[in-house]
Amino acid sequence: MIDSQHTPDPNDELLVEHFRQHASGEPPASLDAFILAAAHREAPAPVPSLWQRWLQACQRPRWQMAFATVAGVALMIGLVLRSPVPQEKLSSPASMDFSADRQEPAVAAAPPPAMPAPAPTTRIAPQGELARAPASPMQSLAEKSAAKMSKSAPAAPPSLEQGLMEILRLREAGQTKAADEKLLILHQRFPKEDLPARLEALQKSAE
Amino acid sequence: MPAALDPPSDESLLARYRNGDGASFEVLYARHRLGLYRFLVALSNKAELAEEVFQETWLSLIRSASQPQGRASFRTWLFQIARNRLIDHWRKHGVHNPLHDSYDEQLHVQPDDSASPEQQLSLSRDQARLDAALQVLPEDQREVFLLRLHGDLELPQIATLTGAPLETVKSRLRYAQQKLHRLLAEEVPA
Repeated sequence: MIDSQHTPDPNDELLVEHFRQHASGEPPASLDAFILAAAHREAPAPVPSLWQRWLQACQRPRWQMAFATVAGVALMIGLVLRSPVPQEKLSSPASMDFSADRQEPAVAAAPPPAMPAPAPTTRIAPQGELARAPASPMQSLAEKSAAKMSKSAPAAPPSLEQGLMEILRLREAGQTKAADEKLLILHQRFPKEDLPARLEALQKSAE
Repeated sequence: MPAALDPPSDESLLARYRNGDGASFEVLYARHRLGLYRFLVALSNKAELAEEVFQETWLSLIRSASQPQGRASFRTWLFQIARNRLIDHWRKHGVHNPLHDSYDEQLHVQPDDSASPEQQLSLSRDQARLDAALQVLPEDQREVFLLRLHGDLELPQIATLTGAPLETVKSRLRYAQQKLHRLLAEEVPA
């Protein structure tokens, strides 16, 4: 069995120490310089850390392409999966609790897409001014067109009584011919009515 | 648990050099250059040969990616490389390897009558006489003593390095020291 617990003799250690104290000689300086220069020259390249290796990998073109592709795909998926805000939400029943005054600027700020965008001043206009002004260009346009239609539309035909009164007025004015023409037209409109009898009754009541 | 300010071990310095830290090699070299050089000079008894083997040993360490194997310390590993290089040199140049001589220590044992404490304290301090006494030692005993002296190796480490049984190493060292005591003892004036 090997005796690993070697206990040196103190006298022997004294001898070894004596030799150590008087030992001399050392390698030449040129040899030192040669070996140290060789060590520095042939030292292995420093091993980069995990983080540095990851950065280096990112700087390689193929990895850049890979990362850019992954980022692009992720962006596209995010855009596709992102649910757009429904347009009905602005005018949905959930917003019915808003007062009419609050809804009015909202409608003014969100015109139909087919119409030109309103001027920014319209959006920030106070509510009183909005109340006086037309709610929207479309609304003012509708009013104008309604006025036009009322002007260009033909007048409603007079009623039977009005027609009879007109005939009596023409007769009193001596325009019997015109009165007869009116009576003929009135007769065509109301063929079942006894127009002469009604004329007499109307004339009597007028007198 | 080692303190935070403890100097790094030889093995950690070598590992750091292998990872590209050139400064670690300078520390390692500064620690072992004197011991290894003096060991080789004393063992080969030729300064030029010692320098050549010294250089080859360090260059081999620089260019190799190997590490001390098993439980071997860096110091044991370094001196083993140097010893193998010296033996290779002797073989290459046809020099008989004195370290491989079979040597019967018992034949060289002489009574150590002069090993009194007074005489041990009055060993010769003459450098030439110290060197001469070392060269008188048989090669096997000299090698063990030099590994203990310049390598600061323990006996089990010397046994591992030389491939000799521990008991043989112990006896070689004991005989070497007895002989050196006898050779270097100075007469104490009465």
